[in-house]
Amino acid sequence: MTAHWPYREDEFEDGEDGAGTMVRPYTITHGRTAPERDDLTLITVLTTAHDPLDAHGAAVRPGRLQPEHRLILERCRRPAAVAEVSAGLDLPVSVTKILLADLVASGLLIARAPLSVARASGGAHMSVLAAVRDGLRRL
Amino acid sequence: MTTSQTAPTAVKILIAGGFGVGKTTLVGAVSEVAPLRTEELLTQASVGVDDLAGVGQKDTTTVALDFGRITVSPELVVYLFGTPGQERFWFMWNDLVNGALGGVVIADTRRLETSFASIDFFESRDIPFVVAINCFHGHNTRTAEEIRVALDLDPHVPLLVGDVRERPFGRDVLLALVDHLMSLPVAAG
Repeated sequence: MTAHWPYREDEFEDGEDGAGTMVRPYTITHGRTAPERDDLTLITVLTTAHDPLDAHGAAVRPGRLQPEHRLILERCRRPAAVAEVSAGLDLPVSVTKILLADLVASGLLIARAPLSVARASGGAHMSVLAAVRDGLRRL
Repeated sequence: MTTSQTAPTAVKILIAGGFGVGKTTLVGAVSEVAPLRTEELLTQASVGVDDLAGVGQKDTTTVALDFGRITVSPELVVYLFGTPGQERFWFMWNDLVNGALGGVVIADTRRLETSFASIDFFESRDIPFVVAINCFHGHNTRTAEEIRVALDLDPHVPLLVGDVRERPFGRDVLLALVDHLMSLPVAAG
């Protein structure tokens, strides 16, 4: 099953394998190199909003969205983590985060932060660990 | 309607070890999807010019992260991230490491030294971890105890020996990590 995924951890992406890499990454973000929000992590889970409303309670109309924005909204109808969206778009994580932050800011996308498991604050809750253990046992 | 699409929340486990030791193989063995690959940009600004000496003319390059997922319940997804094998990319680990449940260090008995850095890293960050000795084709001429001494592991760190290509072994490694996490004393306060 893993035969098509050989060890290639030392290889750089050199643009040979896709036209997507022909566009300089930050062109897609109009030159922005940092997202509007810095709380998006690799495993923040994103879900496309069903009936997005703006701050005034009016329906948000996805107006001038770029193709990548639309792809994200399509993808996140089923919840997906930042890393998964990035892999699906074939865009670097940092670029993906900028696009995701746009959509979260406009209310089109809902972000769910990862569980806090910081050791300093007691580590993961026992119920979380028990759920992980039960899930692993079903593998 | 709004509750039917409640998003799960996520936790992550890091899979570390030297280059070519089988990190992505382990991820693939237990993941419910074929390992996905995402990448992050490295710029001169973030690395320093000297570190890009081998990269030639490019101003930016990328470092790849392979990852997989295990949905343990409708509310909870575990992501497994293989860490970049090259130490010069470890500055990226801050983003990877923050909020990690714990780690797995994979080691190869023929070149244990390639996993020292991963062990040091987890120890220095106080990230609980287990060690998985990967013996392809049963190539293992050393006992677990010899390996433990060679790696200078603390006695409480679990160590398992097996073949990371096999899902049951990968599952057991992750279960050992979870059991280890559950056995740790809760921090005061």
